[in-house]
Amino acid sequence: MATADPTPDPIAPSAHPGSGLLVVLSAMPQIQLECVLGRLSVSFPTERLLIATPDALAADSFPALRFVAAPAAIPSWTFTAADFANAYQLAQKNEAGAILMLGPESSSLGSTAFPDLANAVLTTPTDLAVPCYDLPPHTSLINSAILYPLTRALFASDVRFPLAVDLGLSMRMAERLSRAALRIAATNQEEALLWPVNEAAIAGFNVDQFEVGARIQPQPAGTDLNTMLPLVAGSLFSDIDAKAAFWQRFRMSRPASSPTLKPVPLPHPLSTEGAADIVSRVRTFQLAYTNLQEVWRLVLPPNSLLGLKRLSQTDAGAFRMPESLWARIVFDFLLAFRLRTISRGHLLGALIPLYLGWVASHMNITASGIGAEQHIEAVAAAFETDRTYLVSRWRWPDRFNP
Amino acid sequence: MHFVPGTMLQSDPSQSLQPLYAGNISIWRHMSEALQQSLYRVLSLLISILPGILAFLVAVAVLTLIGAALSVLLRRGLAAMKFDDRLARHRGTAEWAPATSPTALIARASFWACVLLGLIIGVSAFDASYATSAALPSSLLPYLTRVVGAAFLLIAGTLIARYLERSVLIGAVNVQLQYARLLSLGVKWLLLVLTGAMALDHLQIGGVVVELAFGILFGGIVLTLALAVGLGSRHLVSRSLESHSERSGTHGVAVPATPASGQGDSVKHF
Repeated sequence: MATADPTPDPIAPSAHPGSGLLVVLSAMPQIQLECVLGRLSVSFPTERLLIATPDALAADSFPALRFVAAPAAIPSWTFTAADFANAYQLAQKNEAGAILMLGPESSSLGSTAFPDLANAVLTTPTDLAVPCYDLPPHTSLINSAILYPLTRALFASDVRFPLAVDLGLSMRMAERLSRAALRIAATNQEEALLWPVNEAAIAGFNVDQFEVGARIQPQPAGTDLNTMLPLVAGSLFSDIDAKAAFWQRFRMSRPASSPTLKPVPLPHPLSTEGAADIVSRVRTFQLAYTNLQEVWRLVLPPNSLLGLKRLSQTDAGAFRMPESLWARIVFDFLLAFRLRTISRGHLLGALIPLYLGWVASHMNITASGIGAEQHIEAVAAAFETDRTYLVSRWRWPDRFNP
Repeated sequence: MHFVPGTMLQSDPSQSLQPLYAGNISIWRHMSEALQQSLYRVLSLLISILPGILAFLVAVAVLTLIGAALSVLLRRGLAAMKFDDRLARHRGTAEWAPATSPTALIARASFWACVLLGLIIGVSAFDASYATSAALPSSLLPYLTRVVGAAFLLIAGTLIARYLERSVLIGAVNVQLQYARLLSLGVKWLLLVLTGAMALDHLQIGGVVVELAFGILFGGIVLTLALAVGLGSRHLVSRSLESHSERSGTHGVAVPATPASGQGDSVKHF
């Protein structure tokens, strides 16, 4: 296929300054790109659209659309800080009124996703439009175990996917994210991720969440869990540390109450492969319990260690990590991260077997007939309930902690 | 045996005791002279280095006091200027733990810089005193510096050994190696043996014996690890590797997502 530069002509400013929509696309295969562009052309008036993509496109594919070359970025499974900075610069240069950022595999999004996210930031006072995906069970588990509960408990935000790869941004939100991205660049934290929901929460901006249906979640390529979990969790912990002065003042808008977990009939019983998966994860947890106690002892209070001891003696089939124990573990690791009790690399490495234990427990719970979302909501509620513990120990870390 | 007392009884006592008494006096005199000379030498050695020791102690004490005062002043001054907040605003993110805030770091650095300065001044005063004292063994001061160097080596080696032990332990557990503890202990003792050998070599103690012992110990630990991992645990290794390769598939961070997969069959962490 003949391809041409996506910016054959210099882009003139929008005919309606401040009202156009800049769509920033991640690098994606040609077929997906054409699919996304086709749906954008149908969803919006083309004269108000400006597309920024790092991919080359056939010159005559979408003559009605205007393109601008997005700076070449390293292909990533999520948006990097540089992506936010570049998006804001492009929007400012072209006098756009709002930005729609679409991540890899965005062609798998439902038909209403694009207009929902874009119209929210174009026509309503919303500053950050975030999608809520309908994902299959046992998907995006780091989000369910750590990112969502922590964001909800500390920033009083019920955004289900804080690290969503599709976002609608108002210009002031984009400016704020751009400033945060520049700060990250100044401190040479190239791997740090930006957390738009946290930024919006401390700025007091309006955040809206939209049901967008199913989506193929992009996966980090070429790296394993042992690399990615410390990277993502460490980035969120750093962000929470940096925003401590803000989130300690937040008050929960609703009283935290743990939902009762009621079993429902299972559509699919746990397969043999799934059961083997649970056994493997429980073994990892048990191996870690016998070897990593000296590290965990530096981080966790005796009560949590007792809970882990009981868990280590449980069979794989009956393995259930209480939500309150998991919340306490994450909070204690967050505190140790802040206090640098041990090297941060070691700390986050020691969290991995505990997280795998939570995954095994989650799989067991969902296999017993309790819905995955129901369990995740219970976990998030446990984080909210235990929030006072975190705030208290954050302020007085040396206080007696049984 | 009986001849000597007989002779002594027959002769005049004053004549016979005189030579013995004179000989005793001579021995005692020599002994006391030797003791006096030794005492004199030790005392003169102490007297010659005493000003140096006193100068060393005074320099360290005075500079430590100055350092403490400077540290308190800096801490209060920087706190009044809200230095930490300004730096956090300027740098964007607060990457400082409370115990290692910029103000605390600067205050501590100034204190220890003063202590170090005191040590340098003290040692140089001691050195000046020592240079003028010919009685002091010529290798004492250089050997002291070697002792300090060896102490630093030991501290650094121990810290590095502990860090690497923990790194290996966590890494090995996360790839499900059953012999994670053995590996981490092996790494720790390899480094400790290396550090000990380096410290002894630095102190010039043992000579070839240390090198030989180090070679045997180091080689022994490596061989033990190799045997344990390669032979004794070969089933565990193969099982661990199989399990690891399976898990790298199921952990799924590199595998494309399949949204329609059944419950329990597909775990995606992202």
